[in-house]
Amino acid sequence: MSESYRPESLDELLKLMDEKDLIPFAGGTDLMVQNAAPVLPGFKKDVVFLGHLKELQQIRKEGHDLVIGAAATLSAIESHPDTPGLLREAVALIAAPALRNRGTMGGNICNASPAGDSIPPLYALDAKFRLQSRKGERVVKAEDFFKGPGRTDRKKEEILKEIIVPLKEWNIKKYRKVGTRAANALTKCSITAAAKVKGGRIDDISIAFGAVGPVIVRDRTLEQNIKGLTMEEMKEKIPSILSDYSAIIVPIDDQRSTAVYRKQVCLNLLKDFLEQDMKG
Amino acid sequence: MNNISTPVRRLDAVEKTAGYTKYIADRDFGDLLYGKFLRSERPRARLVSVRKPALPDGYYIIDKDDIPGENAIHMLGADWPVFADDEVRFIGQSIALVVGPDRKVLEELVNQFEVRYEDLPAVLSLEDSMALKGGALHNDDNCYADYHLLKGDPDRAFEEADHIYEHTYETGPQEHVYMETQGFVGVWEDGKVHLHGSLQCPFYVRHAVTPVLGVKDDGVRVTQAPTGGAFGGKEHYPDIISTALAVAVDKLKKSIGIFYERGEDIVNSVKRHPSRITIKTALDKEGNITAMDFDSILDGGAFESCSCIVLQRTIFHATGVYDIPSTKLRGRALATNHIPFDAFRGFGAPQAIFALETHMDHLAEMAGVDPVAYKERYFMKKGSVTITNGKIHEEVKLPEILARAKEMSDYDRKAKEYGKGGNRGIGLSFFNHGGAFTGNGEKAIINAHVKVRKRADDVVEIYVSNVEMGQGLMTTFSKIAAQTLEIPIEKIEFIQPDTDIVPDSGPTVASRSIVIVGTLVGKASAKLKKQWVDGEEITVWQEYEEPDFVIPWNQDTFQGDAYPSYSWGVNVVEVEYDPVTFEVSIVGLWNVYDVGVPIDRMIVEGQIEGGLVQSLGWAYLEKMEFKEGRIQQRTMADYVIPTTLDVPAIENDFILNPYPEGAFGAKGAGEIVHNGGAPAFVSAVEMASGKRFDTIPLTPERIMEAGR
Repeated sequence: MSESYRPESLDELLKLMDEKDLIPFAGGTDLMVQNAAPVLPGFKKDVVFLGHLKELQQIRKEGHDLVIGAAATLSAIESHPDTPGLLREAVALIAAPALRNRGTMGGNICNASPAGDSIPPLYALDAKFRLQSRKGERVVKAEDFFKGPGRTDRKKEEILKEIIVPLKEWNIKKYRKVGTRAANALTKCSITAAAKVKGGRIDDISIAFGAVGPVIVRDRTLEQNIKGLTMEEMKEKIPSILSDYSAIIVPIDDQRSTAVYRKQVCLNLLKDFLEQDMKG
Repeated sequence: MNNISTPVRRLDAVEKTAGYTKYIADRDFGDLLYGKFLRSERPRARLVSVRKPALPDGYYIIDKDDIPGENAIHMLGADWPVFADDEVRFIGQSIALVVGPDRKVLEELVNQFEVRYEDLPAVLSLEDSMALKGGALHNDDNCYADYHLLKGDPDRAFEEADHIYEHTYETGPQEHVYMETQGFVGVWEDGKVHLHGSLQCPFYVRHAVTPVLGVKDDGVRVTQAPTGGAFGGKEHYPDIISTALAVAVDKLKKSIGIFYERGEDIVNSVKRHPSRITIKTALDKEGNITAMDFDSILDGGAFESCSCIVLQRTIFHATGVYDIPSTKLRGRALATNHIPFDAFRGFGAPQAIFALETHMDHLAEMAGVDPVAYKERYFMKKGSVTITNGKIHEEVKLPEILARAKEMSDYDRKAKEYGKGGNRGIGLSFFNHGGAFTGNGEKAIINAHVKVRKRADDVVEIYVSNVEMGQGLMTTFSKIAAQTLEIPIEKIEFIQPDTDIVPDSGPTVASRSIVIVGTLVGKASAKLKKQWVDGEEITVWQEYEEPDFVIPWNQDTFQGDAYPSYSWGVNVVEVEYDPVTFEVSIVGLWNVYDVGVPIDRMIVEGQIEGGLVQSLGWAYLEKMEFKEGRIQQRTMADYVIPTTLDVPAIENDFILNPYPEGAFGAKGAGEIVHNGGAPAFVSAVEMASGKRFDTIPLTPERIMEAGR
């Protein structure tokens, strides 16, 4: 039998995390399924509840950033006026309303599923994560945080406190989730892409693919190659851009889809983004 | 009195929607022990040894050595053992049952068994089965059934053909996903085993259990508990659970429950038969179809269960609604080391209709004709000769059904406008479904009896073995009695089916409940009306009578009328196709049916919509794959059924065609609703994508792979 703890404050939570080896439990929408057993769930370690802590539920604008508390629910993020469009679209397509009322973004991040739907927009939007322990805090870039399926840079005594999303100005945006069905669907692959185009020149571009590798696929070098191009130059380069991305998108076969399909669809979506979305 | 089709509030509507209904797992049976199966981990192996764990107090292991009678589950055949004896034939087969008070402990105990297997070459495909890999699993040819049909002179037609088109069509397995998982409770009561369960056929369970316990018919009592959906998945599979449970209750004289969790249910219960159907069509100089040759193969899985009867329905529906002058057919159900495949709404007909309709679409495309116009030319009519050289005895109202469906869906305009490969498509399927048991089964096998009893308080009780399982039977049967007796429906009481109380009116299967048993309820009610005396207790019995117009059935040669009546339908599916992701969304659904006269229009529309969505799920979402005999989609997250967001609003209508032998003119409606969704969907996707397909589920992955 595992013990469970319900701290009254962030300080108390950090103290518990420091002293014991605990599973942080926010909304529980992944944990309850992963640990399901007859009658009652069976956790391998002791559990600490943190979803109720007000300090972790805040969503606020801080300068040019949106700061999202790790225990803010997906519904709260979906309905917050300052949530960037790409993130809102992705969150709104996670599971179903009942789950979004319960599930949190911190949980979605720390569960570190390659098919976690809030993660690709966080990569694409250059989000950073603030981790806190009793000893202090540190900030990690999204792409440095994920180490593989279910594995992250979070240390035993740390909690993910906030997600910091820079509120950049993108004038071209595309989010597309390809799931198993229209709702309550697990993702076969997804694209999150954004660009800033001014006077016919691409000032900035960001492209992330979900569910096609152990972690989200985003390549800054390839983006760098596109930045600074005029739209005409970019259009001419589409075949070589696709071939560059083809080399780094290496998905797998599983019970939901095939590697061949995932890769083809990612490239089709990228092509569609470059040809259709980037018309303007 | 109202028109019989006018909807009434279902008798179970309030308690079910409010959540008061106590399903088997909700009921309080006092001190209840639980049972959990130890199952085979290998698709085909010799059982070398089974080392049992040490048991805490109050825990028991039940296995083959505890069976007082036969270690064989009697369905049609009796090849499926209650507990594996010296060999296992599929992953999930029961080896033993562990019984005790704590389900967590039971799970640990099941994991502590040490089972030693000697693997044998497993039969993991139809090819393996035909090659008799590892030696035959069944008889000497791996055929549970190998049937042949002949009509007209197909050999001559193929000899004289100007052109022959041959193609093979395949369909996948399908999980029933009833909302309530499998569940049973057995109690020791009055010196015998009393089983309460979620089931379709109380007398099938009794038939299965009595030889296992070695007792007479009344030596076991079976009561149906409120049943939360079944779709064929609770036709024979409850026999698997209840036989093992009965052995345990008989031995321990304690109350024991077995309740499946969803994952356990998905992986271990039976599924729809996968099919591979090859159709060869002979065309004359003018492009007319002169003959068809079918090779219809079902994967029967590891044990026979009801594969032979499913195959019969597949082959008797091979030519669907079309009158093909000459036909030739071979049908086989093959043994493999997959989980046994069994009954599922439509019972083999959806597989046949998918192959046929898709084949007809392709013939039309080659002829350069709209598929609907092409198919119309071959419609059956009253008097048409069927594939078993029987006759269509009723007026075939397909032209009226089609006209209405076209009107509702605007088919003609859309089909013309969309063209091929324009990312929007509309597909239309034609289909029928024979009502009730095949051939003379209703008389020779079932011979249903019903009882209607008026109590002294003038309330009328209906005694039948057909069950309410969500389809509305309790209400429709009560409606038939009330309308016949001209009394309010509140004065009717539907008695919960219980083998010690109700007569055997047969199983709740085969679209037979209304057309056969409902009709008997109507006849009994009419008799009662004649004898009615206020305040007196009166009991009336009614036995099944075969209609006098049928061409007699020969069960050895499969010649004669396979079914006395058919229901008919058209489904129209409109889709949008995304060439970037190969995804399809359904944007319009229209259905028109001749089910004789619907007994309660709203209940039948419930069947139409539920069956259609189930058929569409099978057509494009519900992928179930076997890898080395093991099912890969093991959760509701990976076995994907449609949600409300996958389905647009559905419009339905009826063409009335009263059937003189059916209560108030009714024919069967429970299964035909699964027959047409898949081919109409595929046809629409062919139009939208400009590609041609032959396999379902038609996933985006398959659409991508299909060549132009």
